[in-house]
Amino acid sequence: MVAVTVPSDDIVQVLREDGSAVSHLEPKLSSQDHQKLLRTMMLARATDTKAMNLQRSGRIGFYVPSYGQEACQVGSASALKPGDWVAPAYREPGAALFRGAPVKALLAQCYGNMADAQKGRQMPSHFGSSAVNLITPSSPVGTQIVYATGVAWAMKIRKDPKVALVYFGDGATSEGDFHVGLNFGGVFRVPCIYFCNNNGWAISVPRDRQTASKTIAVKAVAYGIEGARCDGNDILAVIRVTREAESRARGGAGPTLIEAMTYRMGPHSSSDDPTRYRPAGELEAWKRKDPIERYRQFLEKSGIVPAAKAKDLEQEVTKEVEDAVIEIEAEAPVPPELLFEDVYAELPYHLRLQRDSLLGERKAGSIVEYEQAEGKFPL
Amino acid sequence: MPEEIRYIQVVDEEGRVDTKLEPKMKKERVMQLYTTLIRLRTLEARMMTLQRAGRIGFYGGSVGQEATATGSAAALQPQDWVFPQYREPGAALIKGISMETLLYQFMSTAKDIGKGRQMPVHYGDRAVNFVTISSVVASQIPHGVGAAWAMRMRKANAVAMVYYGDGATSTADFHAGMNFAAVFRAPCIMWCNNNQFAISVPREKQTASKTLAQKAIAYGMEGLQVDGQDMISVYAAAKYAADKARKGDGPTMVESITYRVGPHSSSDDPSRYRPDSEVELWRKKDTLERMRHYLRHKKWYDEDEDAKLHKLADEEVSAAIAAAERAGPPSWETMLEDVYAEMPQHLQMQHDDLAAYLKWKEARA
Repeated sequence: MVAVTVPSDDIVQVLREDGSAVSHLEPKLSSQDHQKLLRTMMLARATDTKAMNLQRSGRIGFYVPSYGQEACQVGSASALKPGDWVAPAYREPGAALFRGAPVKALLAQCYGNMADAQKGRQMPSHFGSSAVNLITPSSPVGTQIVYATGVAWAMKIRKDPKVALVYFGDGATSEGDFHVGLNFGGVFRVPCIYFCNNNGWAISVPRDRQTASKTIAVKAVAYGIEGARCDGNDILAVIRVTREAESRARGGAGPTLIEAMTYRMGPHSSSDDPTRYRPAGELEAWKRKDPIERYRQFLEKSGIVPAAKAKDLEQEVTKEVEDAVIEIEAEAPVPPELLFEDVYAELPYHLRLQRDSLLGERKAGSIVEYEQAEGKFPL
Repeated sequence: MPEEIRYIQVVDEEGRVDTKLEPKMKKERVMQLYTTLIRLRTLEARMMTLQRAGRIGFYGGSVGQEATATGSAAALQPQDWVFPQYREPGAALIKGISMETLLYQFMSTAKDIGKGRQMPVHYGDRAVNFVTISSVVASQIPHGVGAAWAMRMRKANAVAMVYYGDGATSTADFHAGMNFAAVFRAPCIMWCNNNQFAISVPREKQTASKTLAQKAIAYGMEGLQVDGQDMISVYAAAKYAADKARKGDGPTMVESITYRVGPHSSSDDPSRYRPDSEVELWRKKDTLERMRHYLRHKKWYDEDEDAKLHKLADEEVSAAIAAAERAGPPSWETMLEDVYAEMPQHLQMQHDDLAAYLKWKEARA
């Protein structure tokens, strides 16, 4: 017999569904901290609601909503320091907002016009920002796990006391990138937090068809790392568990796999209809666990944020989103010539030719150059 | 939360036998398996010599791992599938592949089932459900799981034995295969021969998990460890896992703890990455010696008989080498076969060109 330590199945919960708290588990937070956390969750929700409406009215092409998962995003991001690295999946606008990315920047990315720092080159809902060390998400499932592991390893090699936090879903745990990332993270004891938003569904694949393991957190045992579970709709539990992982990582004790139990209340994306695969009644049950409502009740009961103040915050964030949309829509679309920028320091002849053709400015010089160089690399 | 990983050892290094775990096997069967170990040991010694003498181009040896391959395959039935890594000639012999068939492949001869198209030591034989070996680490794992799943869908009463090493556990194919097998309860045995090194990467650099068997927990699968140097233990573990799979109770991961005493392949020099003292330590855990302990315990050991078995094995391998050398290379035409039912025009042209060239060359000589 060989004894091995397996992560516990227990789910850490600080806030009960009625908004009361298990006081000895409460993480230390000032009332400003609480207010910022609540406001960011509200802002994320308002952004989502607006963006889905924009998509339905044809003003943006696509959107990935994340309502229901705000506590996971905001709570975990709040456990980090400003210089730390975040590698999101695509359902973490709350993490971007908490780290200081303006809502205008997030929505501008969905419009892909001149207000967008990425010049409209990414699909909507793929926001990244070097200003806040938030790596641009990529739709292929799980790819960011490997990048975050590498970034964390680099921090360790450089003796830079920064950590990396990477988000992914329950579906990503079946990917090769998950396996490779966590195994490498375990062997090299990198300062990384592996944060799994277990929202029960990988698009239409339910959790019980995804893997036969008892929990997602238990998968940590395969990599010799720590694993923990928390109620992902309870921001205080998320903060508590992520802070533990953060101090472990920063203290050189290696990575942690966190499984946050949550639910995607909306569709997978604006192109999805979840009523085709999710049982009726499931959504209703989860609506009662709404992370914002639960936290708001707690803050009201404990007198930290009175009801009137919460109402003000809600109006404030709605206005912030509305104002951002007005400002973004005033911007011009990205001119086609920008398509050719940012790869080569000097544009090679074949791209110059394409650019000139696109702009209707076929210049004789380029064509001659093209003909002379035909067949040579680059084509 | 503590959890326990079962470790199976029937015959220990001092020869003590755990009669509670001891599987029921008749003398004839045990002697047959012991003979297989002797045949393997003889084969291994001769093949490395042949490679060094330039008579075969390459060899991947498995000295030290004879018991884990032989004992595990012995728990299978004829209709079962084997998806080998490349260090399981023991499983091939048990499945009924002959010594000649192996040599025909090692020497890329006209009698090779694969017509000399594979690297040496990449044999397979569909007649006995032994899938052709692929060097690419772990690629056989999804194949094996898929075959097992197919057997389940067809209600075929067959299981799949999937072999791989400690290094393979870090690959994406291991992850996908294990996860899929557990979700769909595929009737397979996920047999990991942990020989401590993935070429030069030691086990402790491969993964931070305390055991490899515990990786099964990540997939909701049972994982257990077995002493891979003791064929009786190996058989007991494999029998348990095969019976379980056949009953429809799902897959099992077995971590067989063993050691590659020789180099990774004929192209490797292990003295560059591991101390000789370690190799010596494992030589003392010799698989044949452990079996002799068991045979003495059963009062089945006879020194004269043993010498005879060694002599027979030597004759068998010599005869196989001679047969393979007589068989000669496959004819060049065979390289254009087996892809198209009818040879297309462009290949016909190449065929004719090469035929003309060879004719010209012959005339010149």
